[in-house]
This record gives sequence, structure tokens and C-alpha cells, in this order.
Amino acid sequence: MAADKAEMDVLKKECDGLRTQIEAARKGVNDGNMSSAAGSATDVGRVQLKLRKSLKGHLAKIYSMHWASDSRSMVSASQDGKLLVWDTHTGNKLVAVPLKSAWVMSVAFAPSGNLVASGGLDNMCTVYNIKAASPKTLRELDAHTGYLSCCRFLSDTEIMTASGDTTCCLWDLETGKQKIIFTNHIGDCMSLALSPDENTFISGACDSLAKLWDLREGTCKQTFSGHTSDINAIQFFPNGNAFVTGSDDCSCKMYDLRSDQEVITYQDASLNAGVTSLTLSNSGRLIFAGYDDFNCHIWDSLKGEKVGVLSGHDNRVSCTGVPADGMGVCTGSWDSFLKLWN
Amino acid sequence: MSGNSSNSVIQAQKLVDQLRVEACMERIKQISLTAGDLVRFCQDHRRSDPLLTGIAASSNPFKDKKTCVLL
Repeated sequence: MAADKAEMDVLKKECDGLRTQIEAARKGVNDGNMSSAAGSATDVGRVQLKLRKSLKGHLAKIYSMHWASDSRSMVSASQDGKLLVWDTHTGNKLVAVPLKSAWVMSVAFAPSGNLVASGGLDNMCTVYNIKAASPKTLRELDAHTGYLSCCRFLSDTEIMTASGDTTCCLWDLETGKQKIIFTNHIGDCMSLALSPDENTFISGACDSLAKLWDLREGTCKQTFSGHTSDINAIQFFPNGNAFVTGSDDCSCKMYDLRSDQEVITYQDASLNAGVTSLTLSNSGRLIFAGYDDFNCHIWDSLKGEKVGVLSGHDNRVSCTGVPADGMGVCTGSWDSFLKLWN
Repeated sequence: MSGNSSNSVIQAQKLVDQLRVEACMERIKQISLTAGDLVRFCQDHRRSDPLLTGIAASSNPFKDKKTCVLL
């Protein structure tokens, strides 16, 4: 219709104008980059971590793992249809949760340690009480119209989910209902991370964009571009002013919130594998990124250099995590093993 | 048929609304300053990062403890 076309043209013009305005504002604060600022930082040298434990127990590909706040327990999810809760100090399995749907893609531990949540191709996020005599299903959060790619507890009463239906959602666990739906991505949401103060969260999606959201207002505050393919992993830098993303375009990037743009890219000509997962050491200096090439590569977050590698898995590294006390790194793989390094 | 074009118009309007929100953001800090803050944070927390400082074998929670046998 002619009227619609005219309206589209006006909107497109406004869109282009706003984009130009935003780019100009970003350029205005771009007076240097991370590498130059990092000149004064001490060198980290080669980071050589040893394999301390290989946790055997899953019978199929591991898709996700998450540390408990006590830095000792850890939960892992495999498409063998089970969640396993481990005591990482002894290597013993504490709890096994059988899943209704084996196609799990994400798992999370509640800060209290009482609950775990998981979900995947069943489009649901199921919450379990693991402190009961035998694991009990507490809630089945069923409203997403696409797969569940990531879930993170705020507390025993609230949980965030990211989905292939392009939305993220904040749920009330007491009612089992959605509190806020975050819409703005135009591709499957693959990953989310809560800010240290829990007022905001970031999401990475298949539209190659990362977005910062106000958790309570439900609004998208900032959008970060730069990647040229799906963003699979996203984590906050420990002070909450920056975040790191990992993508199928084989690179990781650090974005700064206050200057609203990318400040460094972590990539290497010899690395031709997509990034599946990432986690940071406690000071934020080291980035542990899991790749499709079966390794977890270690990057110096400030200088942008590769400083080490965790080799040992026989298949893609699908998940990584550093516990709250920073005492090690856990890697999980499609080879069905979890490995602890420090 | 106005169906499809109206949808595109709605999508375009949503995009413009979002861009307006993002354009209003105050980008007050220069990258050199924000990057400096990140560097300072890493340096300040260096000593409390076990993966940087290393962990003594006796206090390593993941290391398998070898048992001593008195013969």
C-alpha cells in the first residue's frame, strides 16, 4: 500500500539518522583502546594449569554445567537425560536427577544450593528441589515457544531464562508465572548473565548482538554489535562495567558498558573453531573460552593475547565455569567428561 | 493486502523506538578512562585470583591427596 511504503520510508530515514547519531557518540568517546591502556599491566606469562580431576559419570554429551555458591558442589547436564550434582573435592556424585526430556541444553544452581533448574528442546525450564530425600520437581515453567538455551537463578523465588523464541524471561517461582518478558532480539537467545548487583543482565543471540537490559523495568538499554555470527556465550567482567562474549565467528570480544562499544577482540588466525562457552577468573584477567576444536583456550583479557590452553577433551568443549572462590576451572565436553584444572 | 506491510511498519516502528532509547544514552566516559578502570581492577585483585597466583599443593581442594602408609 502506498501509505505504508511512505511510512516505511520515513521510519527508515529516522532509523538511519539515529544509527548515525549513536555511531558518532561512540566515536566521540573512542580515544584509545584496551591494548594501549593495558600497557601498564603486569604480564601474566604462560598460564599452565594442571588437570586435577576427570569426572566420569555421564553417558552422553555434556551440554552445561554450573557451580554452586559454596565453590564445592557443581551440577552438570547431559543428553543422557540426567543432571548430576558433584562434590568436586572428592569427585563423588551427590545427587542424580532423571529428566523427563533428555534434550537438555542448560542447567543452573540456585545461590541457596537448594534448587537446580534445567531445560532444553522441551521449551520448558524445570526446577528441582535437590535437598529433598529424592529430587522433587518443584515447578515446570512452560511458556516459551522455543528451546531453553540458558537459565540463571536470582534466588529461590525468581529465575531468568533465555530462549530460542528470541525472548528472555523473568519468572516468579512461587506462582510459576512469567513476571517480565524481554523482547528485542531478532534471533534465538543463546546465553544470559546477571550483573553483580542484579539490577541488569546481558544476553547474547543468533542475531550476533549482545544486549543490556534493566531487569526490573524490562527495557533494553544498550545494544552491542561487532560479531559476525551467533553469540553463544556471555559473561560479565567482575566489576560489572564490561562483559565478554564468545561467538561462532571464532572470536571473543570485550564490550565496555560506559563507552557503549567493543574495546578488544580476542582472535587468532590459527583458531578456526567457534566459541561455545566462556568464563573469567576472579580478577577478570583471564578468560577461559571453550571451542569446537576440543580445547579451552586461555586469553589475557587486558592484552588480548593467548596465554595458555587446557587440552585433554576428545570432543567439543561445551561449557566452562570458575567457582566463586576462584580456585579452579571446570570444563565440560561432548566427550561426556568434566575436568577440573588449576 | 495491508497485512504484511502493516507488520513491517510495526517492526520498523519498534526498531526506531529502541534506537531512540539507545541514542539518549549518555556516553560520558572516554574509552581510555574506562579501559584504565578495568586495568586497575585486574591489578587490584591480582593477589586474590588463585589462578594467577598459583595454589599451594597443601591447600589445593581439587588435588587428589596421596595417603601416607607407615610400613
